[in-house]
Amino acid sequence: MITITKLSKVFRTEELETSALSEISLTINQGDFVSIMGPSGSGKSTLLNIIGLLDSASSGSYRLLEQEMVGLKEKQKSQARKENIGFVFQNFNLIDELSVFDNIELPLIYNNVPSAERKSRVNDIAKILGIAHRLKHFPQQLSGGQQQRVAVARALINNPKIILADEPTGNLDSRNGNEVMELLTDLHASGSTILMVTHSDYDASFSQKTIFMKDGAILSEKVNHRNVDVLVNSKY
Amino acid sequence: MFKNWTNIFIYHIKNNKFFTVLNILGLSIGIAGLIFAILYWNDEHSYNEWIPENEKMFIVMNDLGEGNVWATNSAITAPILKSTTSYLENYCYFYTAYSKEIIQYNGKTELVEKIFSAQNSFFSFFPFEFKYGNAKNALSNPQSIVLSEETAYRLFKNENPVGKQVRYTEKTFTVHGVYRLNEKSAVMPNAITNEINEDLKRLKDHWGFNFGLILKLKNHRDAPLIVKNLNQIFLERNYKKQARNEGMTLDAFIKKFGEPIKAKVLPLKNSRLYKGNYPFPDGTGNLQFLQILMGLSALILVLSIVNYINLATANAIKRAKEVGVRKIIGATKSQIIAQFVFETFLITLFSCLLALVIVEISLPFYNQFLNKNLILLGSQFYVQLVLIFLLVIIVAGIFPAVYISNFKVLNVLKGNYSRSKSGIWIRNSMLVLQFAIATFFIIGSFIVYQQVNFMVQKELGFNGSQVLNIAFKEKNGKGQFERYKAIQQEMQKIKGVEAVSAGAFSIGESENSWAGLHYKNNPEVIIQQIGFDFGMLEMLDIKVIKGRALTDKLASDTISNVLLNEAAAKTLNEKNPLNKIIDWQGEKYRVVGVVNNFHYFGLESQISPMILFHINAQKWTQKEIRNISVKLSPKDMETTIAELKKFWSKKVDSEYPFEYNFVDKNFARTYKKYEDQRNLFGLLNVVVILIALFGLFALASFSMERRLREIAIRKTLGAETNILLKELSKQYVIFCIIGFVTGIIPAYLLLHKWLENFAFRIDIPALPFFIAFLSLLFLTLTIVLAKAYQVTKVDVLKYLKYE
Repeated sequence: MITITKLSKVFRTEELETSALSEISLTINQGDFVSIMGPSGSGKSTLLNIIGLLDSASSGSYRLLEQEMVGLKEKQKSQARKENIGFVFQNFNLIDELSVFDNIELPLIYNNVPSAERKSRVNDIAKILGIAHRLKHFPQQLSGGQQQRVAVARALINNPKIILADEPTGNLDSRNGNEVMELLTDLHASGSTILMVTHSDYDASFSQKTIFMKDGAILSEKVNHRNVDVLVNSKY
Repeated sequence: MFKNWTNIFIYHIKNNKFFTVLNILGLSIGIAGLIFAILYWNDEHSYNEWIPENEKMFIVMNDLGEGNVWATNSAITAPILKSTTSYLENYCYFYTAYSKEIIQYNGKTELVEKIFSAQNSFFSFFPFEFKYGNAKNALSNPQSIVLSEETAYRLFKNENPVGKQVRYTEKTFTVHGVYRLNEKSAVMPNAITNEINEDLKRLKDHWGFNFGLILKLKNHRDAPLIVKNLNQIFLERNYKKQARNEGMTLDAFIKKFGEPIKAKVLPLKNSRLYKGNYPFPDGTGNLQFLQILMGLSALILVLSIVNYINLATANAIKRAKEVGVRKIIGATKSQIIAQFVFETFLITLFSCLLALVIVEISLPFYNQFLNKNLILLGSQFYVQLVLIFLLVIIVAGIFPAVYISNFKVLNVLKGNYSRSKSGIWIRNSMLVLQFAIATFFIIGSFIVYQQVNFMVQKELGFNGSQVLNIAFKEKNGKGQFERYKAIQQEMQKIKGVEAVSAGAFSIGESENSWAGLHYKNNPEVIIQQIGFDFGMLEMLDIKVIKGRALTDKLASDTISNVLLNEAAAKTLNEKNPLNKIIDWQGEKYRVVGVVNNFHYFGLESQISPMILFHINAQKWTQKEIRNISVKLSPKDMETTIAELKKFWSKKVDSEYPFEYNFVDKNFARTYKKYEDQRNLFGLLNVVVILIALFGLFALASFSMERRLREIAIRKTLGAETNILLKELSKQYVIFCIIGFVTGIIPAYLLLHKWLENFAFRIDIPALPFFIAFLSLLFLTLTIVLAKAYQVTKVDVLKYLKYE
């Protein structure tokens, strides 16, 4: 689904050049749940941003669904992004001025989905994620976990091919963090492709594969064999 | 989609009530100003539009050279033009002044203003709708009169007056029709007579320029040919003939008397806004005032749009996150633009509606100010309103929307975008523009104020504050001069009357007459003729500065001795103009004195060369006595005037009402329109400064609130309040100075151009520039420091914990 070969990203300022990514190669298949770990400045967020088409690479190749993404125009990128990618952020990035319903509905508006269908899809996904009773509230009125659920709902509403999560639990306490990780696991179980950046070993253990990065390069890959922990997995 | 946009729009309105209200208010004032200007514009442009085939109609004028254009014509030209060429469909001679007279019917007496006189063809040029009678023969019988619907109602109520006889100027006229003044025309009289026919007959071979003339051509493209023919006629029938009579060649004649007069035609269609002499007595519109009004209101609209753009881009920072999120989840750039343009659309819609309310409420005052009857109607106006609406949306909406849509998603979501420098230069240059506009208005209104003040206080060369001019109408059978002499005797006996005299002139009014003055071999000087009776110059305090005044002790003073004013004396090119013999009106006159220059028309015109002579020296001027002048003692003026009135209606004129004017007040009317301009400028100045200050306040608030965290940190590190204040206000003072410097050049140039209206004017002084600078700086500091002070009082902990 995603094939990255020799991808580099160089930041240039007047005085110096910093290489954020150096010739990274990576493949993510349909249905994978991959997490990326590494210390600050290792380039993991940059990689995620490039994959999410928010940033562009300096050289190399990035193929998304067999289509080359490096060198695309802003408009085409935006098109590819809106059709294929759903985002979940550390700081949720909900629009505070819009209600939960309006927030979740946004991607559908931009994909020209008719109003009646939008309404039913938002209600459906809210039900699935357990926030149906919160649709009329504004983001600031919700707990962190609930806000992240809304963000996930917004990421999923358009049935994206891949979900990119940037430290989805970073701003959450462990209880809410667990909730969100379970949500992602459930999504994975139902067939979604997920790429997640995280600092936490515990979160990474939910994924099938963990990639360790340092200084813009991939150090190692590890396949996780998660023991399903009955205590953690049980519903609150 | 619209619902989503509307939700977020309403959210922002709710959270920015103050700024939203001010923004809408600013825009609506700007739009209202432009609506006012447009209403006036439309009104002035609607004149003569209704007249069918108006493009074929031309007003004939005569150019004497050196900027002297007379709107009058000789009775000779048009009939010749008609009989010798094939271009002309019709022509009409008319009087260039209205008269104000009594019209009587059946013992009922009405004082009617704006009585006009024209040939029968008038109604083929101005086809007024006829309520009674018909246009075709309305003025063809001798002693015919047609009345406007209003005048007919005053005299006859609802009766049909056709065939009835009325008394007018002591003659009997038969009413031949009643017309309606439905549409705006170059001439809109209350009554029309054909009296002019007598004059036309009497002067049919006379080359004096007495009548207004309008032509209707068969084809409007023939206008240049008509001019050629008119010039030909003048040369052949006037110059060549005179040269023959004088025994001179044409060239020698031209050398002595100047180039022949050149005809000039003015299309009737757009003549309302013509600048210069104009034959129709309603006069032209004030083109310059209209242009100033349009210009200023456009500036105000620009100012409020600039405000809007400023606030929108400043506000955009607060919305960066929203835009970033929208983009990530799939909004295209054009969708973001559409969303923000949509918000501008709503704001502009409110502003337009509010502007209409403002206009509707203040229209009566505006009408009073312009002396017009403007209304908020007409398809033309609504089309224009929609255009303004769209224009405001495009100018005010597209710019911030594009700016916002260009936010880089990644930067936005990384957070802290709110402290980005992006867009600051735009806002700052807009701020500079606002300062420049404000500078222009402050300087402008100050200079206009000073010029008007200068006019009010200018030494005019005469003193008319105690001199009353009483309207003196002709009576049949008796000479004006003889009647005046009899009245003079009796009036002087009234208590409080210091002197009584008369003249064939009236300072501050358009009445004037001119002739050529010849001296030795000097070129001809066109000179203004001032006929007066003894005592008149003393009464007006016009001083003799060389030689002596005219006196009743010397018989020759009423026959062959004259005075000149300084301007005329100068044209003689003699060291001592006294006792020189001049050639005027075909006879020789001796100059016995020179009087100081005094103003006759407004201060816009130079003081022309004048010849002052006793009214008996030129008998025709006796008929021109239209006023009797009375000097009152300053004590108990009211009582004296009441006495005069009593005397007047008993002994002089029992029909025409007692009408009087103080000479100085009469003259003051010549600068009334400039007082209006001063008031307008002053009012707009207040509006502009308010809008600009609001813009400054809003912008300062936004940019300072973005620095709250910085301020909190500085305070923690020990910054004192006054250092912070300095830090925060510094940049605004710099913008203020840059804006001021930008503003002074256009202000200087435009005001210089405006001052060129006046022959007598102030030099542009430095003072307004200082005052503008100081007041601008003062206001800027007040606003900025107040806001800065408020900002420095923030709770440090709150902002340090945040983020």
